[in-house]
Amino acid sequence: MSFANEPVLELRRAPVRESLLEGLSALDARLPLEVPVLVGGEAGAAAGLDSTDPGDPSRLVARAGRAGPAEAAAAVEAAERGSGEWSSRPAAERARVLSGAAARLRERRLELAALQVRECAKPWREADADVCEAIDFLEYYALAAVELEEGRALVQAPGERNTMRYVPRGVAAVIAPWNFPLAIPCGMTAAALAAGNAVVLKPAEQSPASAHALVEALHGAGVPPDALALLPGHGDAGAALVADPRVHVVAFTGSSAVGLEIVRAAAETPDAQPHLKRVVAETGGKNCVIVDADADLDEAVPEIVYSAFGYAGQKCSAAARVLVHEAIADTLEERLAGAVAVLRVGQAERFATDVPPVIDEEARERVAAYTAAAAREGGIAARAEAPPGGGSFAPAVLATGLPESSPVLREEVFGPLLAVTRVPDLDAACDIVDSLPFALTGGLFSRSPGAVERVVRRSPVGNLYVNRGTTGAMVGRQPFGGNRRSGSGSKAGGPDYLLGFVEPRVVTENTMRHGIPVE
Amino acid sequence: MEHELQRVGRAIHAALPGRGHHPLRALDQRAMELAAGDQELRAALFRFVDVTPACRSLEDLARHLADYLHEVDERPPPLQAAMRVSGTRAGRTALGAAAAAGVRHMAHRFIVGETPAAAVKPIRRLWEHGAAVSLDLLGEATVTEAEADRYAARCREALDTLAEAAPAWPGRPVLEADSHGRVPRVNLSVKVSALTPLLRPDAPEVGREDAARRMRPLLQRARDLGAHLHIDMESVNTLEATTDLVFELLDEPELSDGPSTGIVMQAYLRESGEQLERVIDWARASDRRPPLVVRLVKGAYWDHEVVEARQHGWTPPVWEEKAESDRSFEALTRMLVDARGHVRPAIASHNLRSVAHAIAYNRATGGRDADLELQVLRGLGDELAAALVAHDMRVRIYCPVGDMVAGMAYLVRRLLENTSNESFLGDQQRGVPIDELLAAP
Repeated sequence: MSFANEPVLELRRAPVRESLLEGLSALDARLPLEVPVLVGGEAGAAAGLDSTDPGDPSRLVARAGRAGPAEAAAAVEAAERGSGEWSSRPAAERARVLSGAAARLRERRLELAALQVRECAKPWREADADVCEAIDFLEYYALAAVELEEGRALVQAPGERNTMRYVPRGVAAVIAPWNFPLAIPCGMTAAALAAGNAVVLKPAEQSPASAHALVEALHGAGVPPDALALLPGHGDAGAALVADPRVHVVAFTGSSAVGLEIVRAAAETPDAQPHLKRVVAETGGKNCVIVDADADLDEAVPEIVYSAFGYAGQKCSAAARVLVHEAIADTLEERLAGAVAVLRVGQAERFATDVPPVIDEEARERVAAYTAAAAREGGIAARAEAPPGGGSFAPAVLATGLPESSPVLREEVFGPLLAVTRVPDLDAACDIVDSLPFALTGGLFSRSPGAVERVVRRSPVGNLYVNRGTTGAMVGRQPFGGNRRSGSGSKAGGPDYLLGFVEPRVVTENTMRHGIPVE
Repeated sequence: MEHELQRVGRAIHAALPGRGHHPLRALDQRAMELAAGDQELRAALFRFVDVTPACRSLEDLARHLADYLHEVDERPPPLQAAMRVSGTRAGRTALGAAAAAGVRHMAHRFIVGETPAAAVKPIRRLWEHGAAVSLDLLGEATVTEAEADRYAARCREALDTLAEAAPAWPGRPVLEADSHGRVPRVNLSVKVSALTPLLRPDAPEVGREDAARRMRPLLQRARDLGAHLHIDMESVNTLEATTDLVFELLDEPELSDGPSTGIVMQAYLRESGEQLERVIDWARASDRRPPLVVRLVKGAYWDHEVVEARQHGWTPPVWEEKAESDRSFEALTRMLVDARGHVRPAIASHNLRSVAHAIAYNRATGGRDADLELQVLRGLGDELAAALVAHDMRVRIYCPVGDMVAGMAYLVRRLLENTSNESFLGDQQRGVPIDELLAAP
């Protein structure tokens, strides 16, 4: 399989930055965008759901339709129809369509990055990376589907022919988050489509416009209208999809709480449902970075700070805790505090911004509550203040000295808050990691091969990063996904991901005729 | 011109002092040869040198060494012996002590002293032998305001310390004047990345403004002391901030009559021609005195630039073939020498061909030897420096100052350079014939 990642923009070049700002101006002139409910090629009214700029609530980014249970039912019905036609196409043909959609996204890269800056306050570097990742998912799964169609080799005995192949499951409900507003909906949708399923996509209520751009690209490239529906809306639309007995696969990325609800709901098997639902879930994390006594702090400090505060900590892979060997804890805390103090909290559209606003007021309040708890139960070693103004800004905070029982150390904050804990040795650090219900990403800074091996052996996490930051998994290079309560163990952007969207079928044919093997 | 180049090159080559017979020197030469010959061993050596200052005890150091060597498939006999003794506590302590001494020795080869005060004596000795220096303060990465302030304070202290010592040095006319006038005795190189924690490749203006706050007082101090301040160049990620910072500050009216200042051009950059043009255009248009010193180097971040570009899917900003960089170096040398009426050219290379080319071209275009400065790195270019001094050239040795912790990144970069199969010094040490050393790239 020959796959190469879409190159990110070289933002260190001034002309590249200028082209993005021009893209933003062009987008601003077109706001608000209209995002209809799209079912079976029919566009509903674009009204009922407003998407605004987290950095400036007065800026309306998109006016979207609001799908509810009725639209969800209609979309599944259309998808059932669409699934037949789409699944009958050879994988190579489906792959060509997905690759065509990738080309359409590629043509709109600047505009789509600008849209994320506005719709999700995602800073340029991350917004551009998100668009690239979306393109990568389309190309990668297109290639993977062609490979998968060849099936797997089985042991063959004389007189029989054994074959194993994979067929689409049918209708996939994709429920996507806002934090990777194009890449994550695209990854789940592309995988389901590549494998031959029809898809009903329910994007997060905070990012309908990015999801609409994805659906436009896929339809434009040749995905039949019935095979892909778009349901902008709230949780009720998603819940209706999960409960629908005609849905075969639920692909979900989002919070742990919703993830658990989905797992429970999908386990119901009403009489009208002749199959078991498959859930492909990627949920939260409480990601720890272990810093060994021999770590190179010149490298560790910036990498940890970016992992924790990039996109205001709103990545499921973000670093939430540092577990530092006590021999170097004073130095690390001092340097981290100094590095956090100089972070610039500001608008996502400014290249100079390190920490953009969080997604909405609810998020701001949640982060503020955890920050208050951190101050109460431990201490705040550094904070970078948010600018005055109307956006949902949360200060960047470094907390220290918290007791292990503190919710700040055990629950996912999903914001710009990093907590440092001192440990006597690596085993104590691994014990803490082991005590958490999450196992998504982990980090380790150490220059001892023995220590690295020990931590690798003891780490339950889905993605462990050694001597680098914990975010920025690349399709094909770092297949991504967590274990324990962090997810179903599927690896987005990896060689096994499509298996979540197909069912295996084995055929064994007796080739004996009159006692003679005829092959 | 080519004829003169060959003549100059051979003359310098003939003046190179013989290989030193210091036993420790021979030892680390041997270590480098081993490392250059085996990729795994080279990796183990680098990783070991890199971790040394972070180890808490000799035993800890020995354990790291054994760990790294464990990953080397074919160990030469001395290292096999090291592995054997690492099995016991006493053995580890002894091994740790030996290894620590080895790394310290290697570090001393490249680093002139732990502090500017400690560097004064060796610097004076170099001066007496006919070579000037540029002092470089090694430091850990700057990630906080406090670290940036500390680095600025160290720079100021270094300027003061050198300025106090320099008047007592004997007169060395070759080192102290060119056609433009006086050349300062005191010369300090500074790094923009150490002067601010805010250098962001995507937002160069932020780091530039913050670094300017600390650079301005240093420039004023250097001017008051009659010293030279050279702004080093680092990776492409900081290139725009660094270049813009230099021009912005030097255009300020308050700094229009000094200090003597310098900038660096990296020949391995594909865009280096346009960059040098921009610098020369600026110098032509500026009536600032004294003229800007432009140090031409090959560039020391090649691996970083290539790896970073490959990981992001970019075309590397550097030439990937050594010969391309060498050709670029010669082309830039000619541009720079042609502009000597407006800038002071400083050619920093250990490549005999590049150095001979600069000298020959300068002479061929009517320049005096005094109008060309030649620079080398301490520990790598000492022999070349001696040969150039013997030919009455103005030689400046770039001398890092700092402790082992601070110096490690620098040390690893130098070792990498010294053990690279493509390095000119490697060729020279392997005894490549002079015809090949001087062949056109």
